[in-house]
Amino acid sequence: MSDHADPRNRRRIVVTGIGAVSPFGPGVDALWEGLAAGEERIRPVELFSTEGHRTRLAAEVPELPESLPAGLVLPRGSRPSRTDRFALHAAHEAWLMAGLPLPAPPEAGLFLGSSTGGMYEGEEAYWRLRRTGPERARTKPFAPQPNGTPADAVAHAFGLSGPVEALATACAASTMALEAALDSLRAGEVRVALAGGADGLCQTTFGGFNSLRAVDEAPARPFRADREGLSLGEGAGFLVLETEADAASRGARPLAVLAGAGSTCDAFHMTAPCPEGSGAARAMRVALADAGVSPGAVGFLHAHGSGTPHNDQAEAAAIRAVFGERAATLPVTSSKGAVGHTLGSCGSLEAVITVLCLIHGRVHPTPGGGVVDPEARVDLVLGDPRAIDDARPALSLNLAFGGANAALILRKGPEDPR
Amino acid sequence: MIRSVVVTGAGVVAAHGSGLPAFREALARGPLPLSDVPTEDGFHPPEDAPRAALVPPDVTKRWIEPLIARRMCLPSRLAVSAAIQATSEAGLAEPGDHVPDGDATAVCLGTAWGSISYTLRLLRQIEEAGPGSISPFLFTETVANAPAGQVAIRLGARGPNLTLTQREASGTAALVRGAALVASGRARRVLAGATDEISPILHSVLTRYGSLTRGDRARPFAADRDGFVVAEGAAVFLLETEEDAADRGATPLVRIVAWGRGNDPTASATDWGRGATGLARRVATELARADVPIDTIGRVVSGASGSRRGDELEARTAHALFDGSPPPVLAPKGLTGEYGGGFLASALGSLDDEVASPSVGAADPDLPVAPATGPLPPARRVLVTCTASAGPFAWLVLERP
Repeated sequence: MSDHADPRNRRRIVVTGIGAVSPFGPGVDALWEGLAAGEERIRPVELFSTEGHRTRLAAEVPELPESLPAGLVLPRGSRPSRTDRFALHAAHEAWLMAGLPLPAPPEAGLFLGSSTGGMYEGEEAYWRLRRTGPERARTKPFAPQPNGTPADAVAHAFGLSGPVEALATACAASTMALEAALDSLRAGEVRVALAGGADGLCQTTFGGFNSLRAVDEAPARPFRADREGLSLGEGAGFLVLETEADAASRGARPLAVLAGAGSTCDAFHMTAPCPEGSGAARAMRVALADAGVSPGAVGFLHAHGSGTPHNDQAEAAAIRAVFGERAATLPVTSSKGAVGHTLGSCGSLEAVITVLCLIHGRVHPTPGGGVVDPEARVDLVLGDPRAIDDARPALSLNLAFGGANAALILRKGPEDPR
Repeated sequence: MIRSVVVTGAGVVAAHGSGLPAFREALARGPLPLSDVPTEDGFHPPEDAPRAALVPPDVTKRWIEPLIARRMCLPSRLAVSAAIQATSEAGLAEPGDHVPDGDATAVCLGTAWGSISYTLRLLRQIEEAGPGSISPFLFTETVANAPAGQVAIRLGARGPNLTLTQREASGTAALVRGAALVASGRARRVLAGATDEISPILHSVLTRYGSLTRGDRARPFAADRDGFVVAEGAAVFLLETEEDAADRGATPLVRIVAWGRGNDPTASATDWGRGATGLARRVATELARADVPIDTIGRVVSGASGSRRGDELEARTAHALFDGSPPPVLAPKGLTGEYGGGFLASALGSLDDEVASPSVGAADPDLPVAPATGPLPPARRVLVTCTASAGPFAWLVLERP
């Protein structure tokens, strides 16, 4: 319930923990090493058959330990979905890094975005139901199907009694989860926020994006002239947020500052972005105003950069609209060429990556061959990581089905954690 | 600065048809009518005769042209119809027109299940004709935020666009979030509410979980309650600041003076928990922050639906919050069913002098709260609570303007 008119009146919200599960494996270290090396993890899918589809490729998460991270407990008989497990591992890493206790204190809240939830397990349950008929079908496999179940699982496992918000705004879901957490902290509804997202591959989304012909037969090549579509991925990214004062009082080291957020809707088409990127541009402007940051101050931009022809074109137009001539020299990166499009979790995973870039003072390159689309007119980071002025804030942007757009402004923490 | 939030328009589509006045008239007559749930897909055993409060065919025809409606899943059609009603009732836009100041108009919808029927059609396409046969149109409408996106497109709402999925608390949580968006200044106006369809497979799974009543009527707080009735539909409210409403001469239906969320960590993955004390403490803390004395609340609109454990949690939460002496407690889900926004639409009218309340038979002597019956004393404020299976909880306080 803060006043958005004046950023100076607000509590400063800092990031004190980050966690990730990505196609590079569990942990933020594995994620950063892979990204900084310019590697990609887009491979033939092993989770299910891809016969008959346009592409056989996606970025899968390597096998995680079956056991839950230490200290996390689920209700007896629970069978967490793959997505739940991604969320639990990534959230746990962030929570431990922040040095917070388990179970979570009552003033903590959870803000989690997911677009598929336990859909993979729901599909398996459906096929079984069709094989066995209703009399012999078991109900338990349907339990993890709703979109909100990763939030339920994390809330249970962390013993959370504060607010829990489960967002399902497609590929902007976890970006919006971070915005929701920011607002909740500013309003004083919570004092600690665990915010992020998780999504796993499933046949519905794999088939769906293939049916839209939105996938590339080769690994995705964001912003390249010959790009043909995205590569799907899966994973989870979480951040622990709290007020700067609370972090200081318990001796927690701020990794970064979540300075602002903004979200908008194109209200134009269910799957296609506004060609001129007006909705995305407004989201960036709202986030910049929310943070009290001018476009000229931004040090780099973590683009949605899915690799589809229309999306990258609209996003590049939005970047030019917001940054003007400076767009041609503003370092831009996309992690989707490395870890694929992780759908509802991409926003928070990219926020984690943005924090890693700020910590390391370098922006990771965007994998994928081919020349940068001259019509995009963006300064795409290629080859090796590029050094940045880490005193400047970063902008992370995501676009979604339904026309939803969301942007975050992140700064390096007040204290250099290196 | 906290901005004062009011509701200036409401739309509802449910088993009665569409429109808030017709909805209230229907509730005054008793529970919403039930229909047979189709069984030809084979999700129910042959001996089952599944029933649910389903919307009449073509109920959205009045609000959406058939050619456009064909490109929407049912939850999208329901949400768009309710949102058009809400903006029209609020005097903000003629039916079918875009809202003014679209950049500052947000959409925040809750859906417990999304469009399961479209997801199933898509899975059936894979099963029958192979993965390459998937319809891109079907896929687009399987995403949970399709209804919110369609509302935005239809009404030109270009502000934040959110979809929440928190089971039985989805709609209430969306209303809470919508109020917060207005109060914080993130949006000038918000179209907030709930939308859900009841598909045969959902009905079948909930039956197997033991969630649904074996009869035709749910009995919240009754000793012999055995589950809830499922209902499809949508309810969407237009939220704005009191100042904006006054500036354009709109008459508020209710004021939202406090709100909050919580979670019950004692819940199982599929049922309600027993953490009433924690939930009550959460409400008390937020009421104090909002400067709403608890003794100013004259009624409780409970999310009790007829669920064994859910009703117990609702009853014990109200009991704990009011130190053992809660004001009259209403349980409109006995009339509206679970899901689909009927509960929210009913809550909106809960400050009226004459409120429809279900007759439930013998109250459960093991519960510390009995449902209110007969004429109620006038109330200025009402507390709306909604717990959910697996732990989510959302609540708000409505005030007579």
